[in-house]
Amino acid sequence: MTTEMKSGSGFSVSRVWTMAAATVTQLVRMRILVFLVVLSAIVVAAGFLFPVFSAEQQLKMLKYVSFGALQFFSLVLAIVATALLLPKDVEDRTLYTILSKPVPRVEYLLGKFFGVMLLIGGGLLLMDVLLCAVLHLRQSLVLAQELAFLKQGHATAEELAVEAARIEAQGVGWSLQIGVLAVFLKAGVVTALALMISCFASSTLFTVITTFCVCIIGQGQELIREFFFHRTFDAAGEKIASGLFAVLVPDLRLFDVIDQVVAGDEVAGGAALFMTGAGLLYMAGYLVVAHLLFVEKEL
Amino acid sequence: MMEAATQTSANRALDAVTVTGLTKVFKSGLTKRAFVAVRDLSLTVKAGEVYGLIGPNGSGKSTTMKVILGLLAPTAGETRIFGRDSKEVTSRSEVGFLPENPYFYKHLTGLETLLFYGRLCGLSGARLKARAAEMLALTDLEDAAGRRVGGFSKGMLQRLGLAQALIHEPRLVVLDEPTAGVDPAGSRKIRDLILSFRERGLTVLVTSHLLEQMQEVCDRVGIMAHGVMVKEGRLEDLIAVENQTELVLENVDEALLGRIREMVAASGDGARVVRTGSPRTTLERLFLESTDEGGKGQK
Ligand SMILES: Nc1ncnc2c1ncn2[C@@H]1O[C@H](COP(=O)(O)OP(=O)(O)OP(=O)(O)O)[C@@H](O)[C@H]1O
Ligand SMILES: [Mg+2]
Repeated sequence: MTTEMKSGSGFSVSRVWTMAAATVTQLVRMRILVFLVVLSAIVVAAGFLFPVFSAEQQLKMLKYVSFGALQFFSLVLAIVATALLLPKDVEDRTLYTILSKPVPRVEYLLGKFFGVMLLIGGGLLLMDVLLCAVLHLRQSLVLAQELAFLKQGHATAEELAVEAARIEAQGVGWSLQIGVLAVFLKAGVVTALALMISCFASSTLFTVITTFCVCIIGQGQELIREFFFHRTFDAAGEKIASGLFAVLVPDLRLFDVIDQVVAGDEVAGGAALFMTGAGLLYMAGYLVVAHLLFVEKEL
Repeated sequence: MMEAATQTSANRALDAVTVTGLTKVFKSGLTKRAFVAVRDLSLTVKAGEVYGLIGPNGSGKSTTMKVILGLLAPTAGETRIFGRDSKEVTSRSEVGFLPENPYFYKHLTGLETLLFYGRLCGLSGARLKARAAEMLALTDLEDAAGRRVGGFSKGMLQRLGLAQALIHEPRLVVLDEPTAGVDPAGSRKIRDLILSFRERGLTVLVTSHLLEQMQEVCDRVGIMAHGVMVKEGRLEDLIAVENQTELVLENVDEALLGRIREMVAASGDGARVVRTGSPRTTLERLFLESTDEGGKGQK
């Protein structure tokens, strides 16, 4: 009896997990993994597609295309899958049976959020492993070819070492993982945003379109702030306006380390840490607002 | 004074459901035109009784139930389950709810659905499995346990809804049209189930348009119209024709009937025979016998 009372009140991780697992099952059975397989195929194909470029260029292109696939996968899931979940439960009245159990609404929301994140995270992990394998293979191949070529041209040992270092810089490394983390965090922010919007939207379509627009604005946030606010406000006003704007619309340029990673530049640890912190803060903020909207929602 | 206060709160805790002065106003869409679905409704369901709520379409029965389950917020008044306010999540730990036209995650199978709802109620492990199997047997869904809910017929969904409502052995069961879309055999089974709940001391709050069945199961009924309770009381008191007695005879000839008539006439005191004739079998019974479903159900 007492244990039942306890499980009835307060926060229960296992209930959130139950919701998340059901969400993953639901999405997986909607054949979303087919989409993952197609994008993975693109990563593999990219490994062998660009033989006309220089050795370094080939590896950059591979990373560029692969990160494109990674981002496409995670953002589409973040927006579309999330937008599907809540309005569908309302429409199908599935929510009646779930919320008539001793399930606090916050647990339901978190379950949905973590379910989507679990699926995105799992997909990204798989694609990351694949990308690393393809990149490693391709790199050793290119390196061997290049060195053989240079040796024929009687290059000095020093020249060989420089070329080898240049190619190795494009290979598998920690900054690649930070790039994948950035993709994941970005997807997390967008997922939380989509969830928040679906809490007051009445349809899937509205949620998808609105989230998509906010994402585009978020990508060009810096531009808008500089171009628009700089002209219309004085210094203090500009600060307030752009601060407000940054709260409402996520600054997705935070996650632009991806470009650096593709270029093969080192990503500073501090920058990665800042990006993680800001990403988590955005997610927490949107989830809190989503919860405030959802507890008041009439079903 | 103090004693009186504790007395009333103890009484309240004894009552399974109390609704006091409930008013629910819906503001519809863009125009924000107010619609009063339930107006100043009060009712009490005592622990252990079967309470039937009847009324024409749109009279506010389902709305009342949703407020009791905390799915809708009352505009005025309050509802309690076993003394706990419906706004508290814990009030839902001992109640099972079957909404009208229930629907579930269509990508889960029947069994997975029950496991999901069981987990939300804090069940786990062997006990959860046992309960789920028991519920599938109870609702005749064993054959459908491995099939996806998306392919369920209306009656199957209804029975799955019932199974889901009972999975955690609640002390109170709230059923919104449990027999809608269920065939006569299944419908009779649900009636028997409600009767067995009463024997086991469970409390039931039920709505239905099948008045004949309601008459068989309910201890008390409330009749609603246009959001207002128009009549409430013990069923026996409401429907009994107090100065009449029914006498059903078998294998009697005309002579015996004539003698009975004579005896009645001779007794004086205003006693008279109101009508004689063969009692009609109900359409329900006829259907059951001719489709032979009733026979199977009985075995
Ligand atoms: N979400 C809502 N928004 C606006 N009006 C609503 C809403 N839900 C119910 N209503 C209105 O409230 C009234 C009562 O509806 P309710 O579903 O409680 O009726 P009911 O007694 O269950 O009817 P039925 O026997 O058909 O199930 C109806 O007129 C309905 O149109
Ligand atoms: Mg109804």
